[in-house]
Amino acid sequence: MNSSKIAQAFLRTGRCEDCPVVDMHAHYGPFRGIYMPRHTAEQMMATAERCGVEAMVSSGHLALVDMVLGNAEMAEVTERYAGHWYGYSVFNPNYPGEGARELSLLEDRPTFVGLKFHPSMHEYPLTGEAYAPALDFAAERELLVLTHTWGHSSYDSPSHLAEVARRYPEVTFLAGHAGYGEFDACFRVAAEHDNVYLELTAAYAVGGLVEEMVETVGAHKIVLGYDLPWFDPYYAVGCVVMAHVDDAARRAILYENGRRLLAPRRRI
Amino acid sequence: MRTRDPVDDIAYWDCNVMVGLPPSGVRVACPDADALLREMDSAGVQEALVYHVVMQYGAPIQGNPLACEVASASPRLHGTWALLPPSTAELPTGDAFFSALKEHDIRALWAFPGQHRYSPSRVTMGSLLDEVSERRIPVLMPCSDGWPPIGELLADYPKLVLVTIGHGPWGEDRYFRPLMDAYEHLHLGISRYELSGGLAELVQRYGPDRLLYGSGYPRWSMGGPRLMLARAEIDDAARRRIAGGNLKRLLEEAEL
Repeated sequence: MNSSKIAQAFLRTGRCEDCPVVDMHAHYGPFRGIYMPRHTAEQMMATAERCGVEAMVSSGHLALVDMVLGNAEMAEVTERYAGHWYGYSVFNPNYPGEGARELSLLEDRPTFVGLKFHPSMHEYPLTGEAYAPALDFAAERELLVLTHTWGHSSYDSPSHLAEVARRYPEVTFLAGHAGYGEFDACFRVAAEHDNVYLELTAAYAVGGLVEEMVETVGAHKIVLGYDLPWFDPYYAVGCVVMAHVDDAARRAILYENGRRLLAPRRRI
Repeated sequence: MRTRDPVDDIAYWDCNVMVGLPPSGVRVACPDADALLREMDSAGVQEALVYHVVMQYGAPIQGNPLACEVASASPRLHGTWALLPPSTAELPTGDAFFSALKEHDIRALWAFPGQHRYSPSRVTMGSLLDEVSERRIPVLMPCSDGWPPIGELLADYPKLVLVTIGHGPWGEDRYFRPLMDAYEHLHLGISRYELSGGLAELVQRYGPDRLLYGSGYPRWSMGGPRLMLARAEIDDAARRRIAGGNLKRLLEEAEL
């Protein structure tokens, strides 16, 4: 069987002391199309602790629908778990006035380390002008931007990401789901842009994909996420630790890259 | 909940692996039994129920013998056949069908009604599925065509031992839990059932006997559900059944 020390530690104890997990793509709360039995803050933190998660970064489900209500909720929840739980402020380009206000509030929300875009859900292209205020804001502060990406999307395909990554080199983009369905194109974007990382949510399950990412883009450009409270962290971790890569790559994906990206942006 | 480390003494039997070169849809194929056995060894999976890509994407009359050939490579591999409606007589019918299953020791069947273009209803399947039900031969069926056809199939054949496969990552509990409530022989393969806390809740509500470890390899990673089940918040007796005990029991209970 897989002799990786990290894999064996997770199998036998459920965690790995010298390779904790940093989860860069989480949410919070219930959502419309899925029954989630463990979506409360207490349940999510209990799940994270059980799985050896050192830190996670969430955007609220409520914020994806109504950013004003949801960002406030996410700020309140993450501040209860400051030091372990961080937030992304959702920016919906369909409401420029409210969006500008949400950006201005970020300074007063010390657990927030970046912005979350969901162009597919908000039905507005990542390259559109209405995203410019948020991208300018992120560039001035060198924030993280986790954006949903999906292959062949009219709103957030890898080609959309390439364009904004080129325009905003100061912003570190996390390609949520790694451009699912158009992986090769997303790999190229990450390989060609220092400021683009591949984020694994859902993509981790695709057989052989972790190995391909490591080989073509490098383990240093991949971060873990699993849409908590949607997906069991162990499913995601299992896909990484059982992949045919070495322990250095496993550690970079599960832990080091996320920790490195969070470190300069932590205010609390 | 966990009283001891079960890593080394729980046998994992994967109910959902595919061998061969599918026309599309996989990043890395599993071309033959040797490749499958290597991956099983790496993931800590002892045995597997195998189907061949030609059973699903090609013609079952060609694919079924290929699955037998793959399974013959190792006693750790167990072959399956794909069903077709009896009215076209592409596969043996009546007693001849069950004699053929016995001859090849095929103890589980697949139904791919979407790709093979038939309705899995009583009108179409007739007495074939009555006898499959009576013999307790498990039938595996993808839920990728949606849950309504599965509900219709179970309404027509409530005693059928049905294993739904290919649950998607978007939650489908609102679809399948009512069917689990209504049909005691409905089983769930857990590949891609990656809902946080979902497995423990299913065990609490339905018990462990209708859940089967499966990966969907090579389309999906074998390691994800392997670690998820190894660390699920259930007791080790339940874990043992889901990991392999239930599939082993179902195969043994099939009357050929």
